[in-house]
Order: sequence, then C-alpha cells, then structure tokens
Amino acid sequence: MSVIDQLTGEFARLPGIGPKTALRLVHHLMKGPKDDARRLSRAVMELAERIRPCARCGNFSEHELCEVCANPRRDSGLICVVEEAFDVGAIERAGQYRGVFHVLGGRLSPLDGIGPEELSVAPLLERVRASGGEVREVIIATNASVEGEATAVYLEQQIRPLGPKVSRLARGIPVGSDLEYVDGTTIAEALAGRREM
Amino acid sequence: MHLSRLTLRHFRNLGTQDLELPPEGVAIIGDNAQGKSNLLEAIYYLETFRSFRGARDDQLVAFGEGVFRVTGELVAVDGSEQPAAQVAAAYEKKGKRKKVTVDGVEPERVGDALGRVAAVVFSPADVELVSGGPSVRRRYLDIVLSLSAPGYLHALQEFRKILVRRNAALKDGQPGAVVMAWDHGLVRSGAAVVEARRDWVQSRCRAFDEYYSAVSGGVGARMAYRSSVHLDGARGEQDIAEAYRDALVASSEREQRNGTTVVGPHRDDVVLRLEDEGDDLDLRDYGSGGQRRTAALALRLVEARTIRETRGREPMILLDDVFAELDGGRSERVLGLMEREETGQVVLTAPKEGDIRIRRDALPRWRIADGRVAA
Repeated sequence: MSVIDQLTGEFARLPGIGPKTALRLVHHLMKGPKDDARRLSRAVMELAERIRPCARCGNFSEHELCEVCANPRRDSGLICVVEEAFDVGAIERAGQYRGVFHVLGGRLSPLDGIGPEELSVAPLLERVRASGGEVREVIIATNASVEGEATAVYLEQQIRPLGPKVSRLARGIPVGSDLEYVDGTTIAEALAGRREM
Repeated sequence: MHLSRLTLRHFRNLGTQDLELPPEGVAIIGDNAQGKSNLLEAIYYLETFRSFRGARDDQLVAFGEGVFRVTGELVAVDGSEQPAAQVAAAYEKKGKRKKVTVDGVEPERVGDALGRVAAVVFSPADVELVSGGPSVRRRYLDIVLSLSAPGYLHALQEFRKILVRRNAALKDGQPGAVVMAWDHGLVRSGAAVVEARRDWVQSRCRAFDEYYSAVSGGVGARMAYRSSVHLDGARGEQDIAEAYRDALVASSEREQRNGTTVVGPHRDDVVLRLEDEGDDLDLRDYGSGGQRRTAALALRLVEARTIRETRGREPMILLDDVFAELDGGRSERVLGLMEREETGQVVLTAPKEGDIRIRRDALPRWRIADGRVAA
C-alpha cells in the first residue's frame, strides 16, 4: 500500500470525512510546504502522547491534573457531573461555572451492557466521601435523554446519603430562540419547570 | 376535507397509477387477490405510515422494485381547486429508509405528520380486536390516541424506550438501585399513557354501548380499561403515578425472578362485556362470532366519532368488504347507522356489484383487476 493510500485511509476513518475529502486533504499536504505536513504530524503525535485523563475528574489533561482541577481558584465544593469529557468544554465555554467537574465516561445503558461499574461512579462517590463534607453540591449535567435521566436518578440516590445537595440542570426553551419553532416536548418541559418571577 | 388525488408508485401490486377520487368516495369492485385491499392499505398508509394489515414496510414494496411511494392530495370541502395539504410517504427497501413529507417538507418526526387524512378502516380482520389477545386492543388504543390526544405518542414512545432499558437491566441481574434508576421515567411516562387510555375508554364507553345496541338490535355492551396497576381512587396523572410506583415496589420480587417489568401499561387491557338478561359476559371468552364482529364494528365507529370530536373533521371511511360476514339484520342496521352518522368520503371494496349496500346510488364504481383501476 502506498503512503498516499495509507494516509488517505487514515483520514477517511475520521468522523465527517469521506474518501474524496480524505484524498483532497492528502493532495493538499503533498502540494504544500513540507513544514506544514511536519507540523501537523508533530501536533498529532503530541496529542497521542500527552493527552490523558485527569487523575481526579477524568477530563482531558496534559498533566496529572487537568487545568480545572489544578486551578486553586476553582470551587472544589461544587462538582458538575458530565457524561463525556467533551461536555466539560461546552460548560467551560459558557464561562459561568466556577466549580470543578467529574466525567462519568458514558451513561447507564443496559442495552449496551453499561452499568455503574463501567462508569466512573465509584471514584465520584469516593471523591465526595473523602472531601469530608467540603463538597456542598453535586450538579448532575447528564444529557436530557432517557439514559441521561436514569443516570441522573441513579447518581442522586447514591450521592444524597453522603450529605451534599444534588441538583439537575434545568430544561427548557433555548436562549435566543423563537417560541414558535420550539418542539412540543421542550415546551411541555419548560412549562412544567416554570419559575415564579 | 377529502382525498382528491392518490398517486401510487410500486405499492404492492398497484404499479404506477394516478387516481382522482370523487368527494363522495368510490366503490371498488374486483375479484379476490386483485388489489382491492391494497388500495385501502395505501390510502390508510398516509394516515399512520404503517400497514393497517400489520405488514412490514419492505413487504409493501412491489416485487422486483426497490422503492414504493404513495402521495395523497387533500382538498377542502368547499370545493376550492387548490389542494389544502399534500401527504407523501416513501420507503426504500435497500436502505430501510422511510421518508414522509407534508406539503413537501419532511417533519422533524414522523409522528408530527400522523392523522392528516383522518380515516378509519373497517376490515373483516377487526374481529381480532375482540377475540385476540390484549396486545391487539392496546395497539388499537395506541393508534386512536396517537391520532387524537396531543402528547400521547410522545409519552408512549418514551415509555417504550425506558421499558426496554429497564428490562435489559433486570435481565442482566443488575442490583435493585440500578433498576430503580429507570423507575422515575417509567412511572412518569407510563402514568401519562394509562391516564389517557383510561379517560378515553371511560368517556367513550357510552358511545360504544349505543353503537353496539344499534347494530345488535337489542342488548348493549360495555368497555372498561383494566390496568395491571391498581387504579381504584386514582384521579389524575399524579395519583396514577403514585399507584404505579407502589405497584413496582410490590412486584419487585416477581420482576427480578422473571427478568422483566411485570406491571404497567404494557400489560393492560380493555375488557369488552355484554349485558344479556342480567348476565355479564366477557365477549372475548364467551361472545359468539356475530357478537364479536358487532363489538369490533362498534369500536371502529367509536374511533370514527373520536376523529369527529377531537379533530373536527368528517372521517374518511374505508370499508374492506366488511359486510361479507355479518348476518342480514346486523348489516342492515350497520348500514343504517353509517348512513345516519356524519361521515366524509367513503371508499369501499366488494367482490360484486350486488354487495355494495352503502350509498348504493351515490358512489361511482371502479373496477380493479391485477392491480389496475379502471373507472
């Protein structure tokens, strides 16, 4: 197999990239300065070698602890539980959250044989227990799917006896959207979860 | 509103045809196995995007073809030429892909496009509604309510999704706390389903009785929702949810033993009873053939009435050779009833001209042979 075929094959395995796009990327790298290709290759190498899960929360990290866990100004009494490490990025981009995270690595999914043992649930409970009461609140930010909901209920049952307050992200109308285009289910949720003004 | 135009492409044996339907309807005459029922099936496919005969989508694609497509145009009763709505459904066998459009636009969910035709099918197989198992009656309720009660389909789909996951956790022998994690969602969606079904059955019980006695020419019949959850005294959704939660707790040993959820709307039934000289008989177990057929007809008539009441439209009536099996007196009374009730378009099938008994003079005749319709 030629180098070109090999690289094309590798690109085509990436999400959102078909064989044609893969070939176009390879041609682009072949035509451009050799340094461009080297820089890309180095970045990919470093990604593979340096990114690992944070020892405390499971977020993507280049060090033992991720940037959030290592930051002394973050409030470690507030833990936000998410399904995947990508969800940390989504919440961080909002720039509002000052607490820390815990990444489960998935959700309860009995059809795929995923129970609490397959997720990072025990480490989360240990974190709460070991904090000796420092953790005041656990915010459960699993997805608003049936599996995310069941995971939230399960975590709530497990965490509450340990002391902290357990909360769940609100569901409702997306900010900046027109009511008339919001689907019925979301409107029903928003009505059920309405707030007094 | 009525169906003014039906375009068929490789739906069963119907080939390629563009049909204009008269506002009053049409009588389709043809020998057996020529495609009469297929035509009704194609029309009703635009209502629920499923075969009313329980066939899988890939079985609806004509032999040797890859895709079927059915398009219907609906026009307002006032006679305006412009179609008020266009509903289309297509299924591709190879990719197992179904595409539904309303006025050319694909809705976010197929569920959003349900019920545009506002049709009811009467078929000889309907007797199964009475003599078949509970799942047949649940399916009947689910279709009627998905088409008439806002939010029902969503609750039902949610319930089913959670149920298969909860059952997988039970079968897997997961600890109680993991199984219980699904209870919250199961109870919430399940209570919504049970409430809608129970309320519908209660509020239509009287109509069912009236239709039954009108067709039988005498005694009446009753229907009641029988839930696997103890509902006595449960009023609204909250009460039902509580009762459901209690029932789950009470059945936890049994469900662990069986590896499946044993209480909930997926185990419920509708009981149809006959009042006969003080006796109270379950029609499923003790009804005669004629009594069961009568009860099945009454259920379809209640379905048509539900369309009238909840959607404010005259239901389109599809009659699949339905009088073949009724005795003379009963079929006369059904006909009388159908003539009296306000119905919209009627499309009926019959093997012979002489079998057309409804709107005998009003309906144009179409003949069908080998899937081809000739006016």
